[in-house]
Amino acid sequence: MPDTSSSLLDAAHVAFITGTVGINLAACRPGGFPALSRAVGCRVSADCGQVSVLVGAAAAADVIDAVRRSGAVAVVFSDPPTHRTLQLKGSNALVLPPEPGDVALAHAYRDAFAAILAPFGFAEGVVRAFLSCPDDDLLAVRFSPSAAFSQTPGPHAGEPLPGRS
Amino acid sequence: MKIRLESIRACLEGVIPGTIATRAADGTPNIAYLSQIEYVDCEHVALSYQFFNTTRRNILASPYARVAAVDPHTGAHYRLSLQYLRTEESGPLFERMKVRLAGIASHTGMSGVFRLLGADIYRVLDIEQVPGDTLPPPPQPCNLLASLRACTESLCGAPDLDGLLARLFDGLQTHFGIEHAMMLMFDEAAGRLYTVATRGYADSGVGSEIALGDGVIGVAARERTPIRIGHFTAEYSYGRAIRDNMARNGVDGIDTEIPLPGLADSRSQLAVPVMACRQLVGMLYVESTQDLRFGYDDEDVLVALAGQLGAGIRLLQQMQETPEEAPPAAPPMAPAGRPLSVRHYAENDSVFLDGDYLIKGVAGAILWALVRDYVDSGRCEFSNRELRLDRRIRLPDLSDNLEARLILLARRLVERDAPLRIEKTGRGRFRLCVRRPLELVDVPV
Repeated sequence: MPDTSSSLLDAAHVAFITGTVGINLAACRPGGFPALSRAVGCRVSADCGQVSVLVGAAAAADVIDAVRRSGAVAVVFSDPPTHRTLQLKGSNALVLPPEPGDVALAHAYRDAFAAILAPFGFAEGVVRAFLSCPDDDLLAVRFSPSAAFSQTPGPHAGEPLPGRS
Repeated sequence: MKIRLESIRACLEGVIPGTIATRAADGTPNIAYLSQIEYVDCEHVALSYQFFNTTRRNILASPYARVAAVDPHTGAHYRLSLQYLRTEESGPLFERMKVRLAGIASHTGMSGVFRLLGADIYRVLDIEQVPGDTLPPPPQPCNLLASLRACTESLCGAPDLDGLLARLFDGLQTHFGIEHAMMLMFDEAAGRLYTVATRGYADSGVGSEIALGDGVIGVAARERTPIRIGHFTAEYSYGRAIRDNMARNGVDGIDTEIPLPGLADSRSQLAVPVMACRQLVGMLYVESTQDLRFGYDDEDVLVALAGQLGAGIRLLQQMQETPEEAPPAAPPMAPAGRPLSVRHYAENDSVFLDGDYLIKGVAGAILWALVRDYVDSGRCEFSNRELRLDRRIRLPDLSDNLEARLILLARRLVERDAPLRIEKTGRGRFRLCVRRPLELVDVPV
């Protein structure tokens, strides 16, 4: 069992964000336009204190630039079948080279995401296309979540997660 | 090459939900899913404002946002840089988005959760394509422009309104593969639409009526805006409109309801106002059992076609007011058999044949005047022009389409297999054919 005592995230959150969910992140250069990108996988440190999302350097060039300059990041995770949605924010984000296993993680993520969308009528090729990213282009954006919000659609969207923070 | 907004409209359909990034006053980024991106024109989009959430707070503090949208056919991924301009809380765009949102909500299990508070209008400053793989676009089932051309050419040759509508439905079927369509005319005085012709339904529903604001068609008519829904929504369905209609009409105690036609399993719907000289003439409505059957391009095509239709209807209407020379009168029919009871209720000009409801309103008043003249003086030959001047009929106003009322009346008589018929005998002229003796009963108010 991971030790989650010092983290904003509990084991259920970790299972959710590292599962087959859509991942999108945003960052802002100081004074600049908000930037956003899709991510192609997520891993969480053993103590649940650090979240890393994988992005393609070319596709996420703006986000990477903004993260490098401000360290602030927002990442939204959403489960297509249920619309359950969680947003994490951090202010100490770093852009890091991929770790061993990240390429395999991105591949597995793409496979699983294409499979989960298939019953909704999405052609696998389309899902793979918009999640495409060359293996040697992968980067990780790592941050410690400092705030977590439920964003499941509805009037309570945006409320902080209960219990932890 | 600059990417134009109208060329990536397929991405805005929400098949793959878009996302929006905004920044708070302190620079904190935020990212959220979008339920709706509406194409407004080639420089503007509208996003649905449903809750006062972080996105909302952020764009009011800093109006710059970025939206990501994916083409559901090719996987092409775009980012739009947007500047928030204003929020509309009523009007055509708002109503269009409200109806569409109801469809999206129903499709995503969010009925009762999604409610449109406003349409947030954004200027599109820039569009970039995100590097990545794309699939080749799927082949188009038809060339919409070529189909539009063929269809409008066919409309031009129509001799009268009946022919125009027949050509319209033939064209929709042949050139666009649209199997279910209806045309409703607008009765401005009554604030209602009445169905004059339909194609592709078990019951034609000719003569059925809906009020402005009822269902997809009624809202589109009231707002004079096309409305397109890609998924079923109970909120704007026929069932709802019919129930509302019945509740309203049930009070007068005379059952004069003709059910609206419509597909029980309708999933995609497109209602387009037919305008002429900025006046609402009627509504063209098409539907399908497929989800997302009609796209932005289909909407464009039907709006263009509706423009042609509106002008054609007005032109033909003017021609009908100048009747041709009277044709030689046909030898009078010899009515035979048991008398047909024709009962007229002055209250709403409803007419019942042998106790069965036939028609009401202006068309009912027309029929009553015709049978009166027939019984009183044996007259069978009539012209549109004299009907328009006939004070018994009380046509709402000059722009009212008398021809449409006559088509409606003629179709109802055929559908009810009545021993009374109306036959066109030339431009602006028609004949009342009576196969059984008539027994008139007038029920005054």
